[in-house]
Amino acid sequence: MTIEESALLYILSYTGAIGLILLGISAMVMCRHLIRIIFGLILLESGVNLFLITVGYRVNAVAPILVDGKIPEAAMVDPIPQALVLTAIVIGVAVQALALALVIKTYKAYRTLDTQELAQELAQETGTRIVKGTPVYLVAPAGKIVEEKSI
Amino acid sequence: MNAVWLIALPLLGAFLLPIIYRRFMVIGYWAGPFILLANLGIAFEIWRDISLNGAQSIAMGGFPAPIGITFYVDKLALLFAIMVILGTLILWFGKKKGPVQEDTLLLLIVAGGCGLALSGDLFNIYVFYEIVAVASYGLAASRRSGAGYAASLRFLILGALGSSLLLLGIALIYAATGTLNLAHLAQLAPQMLNGSVGLAAFALILIGLGVKAELFPVNTWVPEVYATAPARISGLLGGIVSKLALLVVLRLLVLVYADTSAPLLLLSLGVLGVLTGELAALRATDLRQVLAYSSIGQLGLVAIAFAIPGPAGIIAGIAIALHHALVKPALFMLTEAWGGQLNRLVGAAQVSMLSALLFIVLVLSLIGIPPLPGFWAKFLLVKGALGIENGWYHIAIAVVLIATVIETAYFLRIVRFMFQEKTQQTVDKPYKCDLVPALSLLTIFFVSLFTIGLIGKSLTTVAEEAADRKAYIDKTLPSEKANGNLI
Repeated sequence: MTIEESALLYILSYTGAIGLILLGISAMVMCRHLIRIIFGLILLESGVNLFLITVGYRVNAVAPILVDGKIPEAAMVDPIPQALVLTAIVIGVAVQALALALVIKTYKAYRTLDTQELAQELAQETGTRIVKGTPVYLVAPAGKIVEEKSI
Repeated sequence: MNAVWLIALPLLGAFLLPIIYRRFMVIGYWAGPFILLANLGIAFEIWRDISLNGAQSIAMGGFPAPIGITFYVDKLALLFAIMVILGTLILWFGKKKGPVQEDTLLLLIVAGGCGLALSGDLFNIYVFYEIVAVASYGLAASRRSGAGYAASLRFLILGALGSSLLLLGIALIYAATGTLNLAHLAQLAPQMLNGSVGLAAFALILIGLGVKAELFPVNTWVPEVYATAPARISGLLGGIVSKLALLVVLRLLVLVYADTSAPLLLLSLGVLGVLTGELAALRATDLRQVLAYSSIGQLGLVAIAFAIPGPAGIIAGIAIALHHALVKPALFMLTEAWGGQLNRLVGAAQVSMLSALLFIVLVLSLIGIPPLPGFWAKFLLVKGALGIENGWYHIAIAVVLIATVIETAYFLRIVRFMFQEKTQQTVDKPYKCDLVPALSLLTIFFVSLFTIGLIGKSLTTVAEEAADRKAYIDKTLPSEKANGNLI
């Protein structure tokens, strides 16, 4: 590969990684639907994995495998990021599966997958209330009586 | 004894437990505490060993340092490992005979926690962090109510975002230096990680670990999870597991980012955490949420302490962390019966004087009233921060003192509720199985109160050892420098 080609390859790869990461984060932050948030998470994880693979890539290099017990003459691709990505993919899949399982359980309990509605339901059960997106703490109903007594 | 057993034993137990449970219920029920006891024994044995021979580094699989994964066993790591094991064991007493899944997850948290404390390899830390994270998502939902699932899911989304950012930070560090070993990084850092890339990597790692450590921008899960999870789990996550993430941050700060502006980043997040946590606790009307927000504030204090360079900051940080690890789980144990709206606590002292006294003593210590250990922890923090010639630290101390006033206000308001006349809706007596762990934690608390001089001395040695960057490098990396150039 010529220098221009390899430069293009690196640029494309890094742009792809950073683009995926940004897309994933914005999806996770801006979407309200749980399934879309999990899609955002998947994008983010792929972006990080692509970034790691690109970090370890060398131009004109071979796979890091010993041939007949000897180190090959050509330069080798860095094997460590590949090992890391393998682990990260497995962890990522496990977390996604757990997330989907929790989504099913949550949907059965509340019949909704909208995070803001869920936050409202949660807040009502734990003594706070959310009005137009901001949490408003309930004034304790019996608090007034208590105050008067103490005075 | 090899320190690897600290991780291997609970990990093995966690995956064997479901099989044992299927055949022999009784053995399965006692297997968990037994494994933790054995682990505690091993930890104390190693503690004795390293206080005689000094800290040691263990190379996994016999591969030497920069290439292989190493575990660095020093007193600081062991102290946090013992804290996790002992805390889980004590909170186990309050457990009802329940499904096996919870036992498995608790053992997984212990394994991951010990791994986080001991590991000397960045990617290894990421893996253990994920083990702890996944186990805590499961535990957060272990009440099996709809609210529990929803809170756990929101926790998971934030946690997964954090873990990905942590991995991205680690990838950046690898891209800049070509190594993941902490000792090797410490050697290379002054030339390679002082620039903006290193700082960006630290910021990403801080946000990633901050999800567990309840740092400022990524702690929205805290009140939801602690209000819906069982009290024991809230105590475990808030009081004990959250400190381990901060321990990793401390290791990075001491070894890799000692001479950069990275501590100031941690300091500002800590200050914001203290302020927002205490202010939110003032407004909260649910006892569990008050405790949750107060734990955000306390972890902010630990973050401020760890941001102070040198041994003084480490001593203060460990003291606050250990104190909080004793007090907060004990307070959470009371909420199993006393949780919910604060005005339900009116007249609680007449229902159970013992629990009310327990609450008062612990709360006074949390605020920092002089004879109690909490005072010494906060005193060390103030003393450490005032010893630094940097205005930001002095501002941080001002904020800490203001936050203490706020803390006093909301805790003493609750205490006043307790000593009023009983009403119709007053809470019930706390259950015995909740009080046992709380009282055993209180016993340790009083033991520490009377041996405070001794503890102070040993904490000083722990902190001086932990701040010794050169020893970490020398003990981990083999002597010849040639090995460092292999990667």
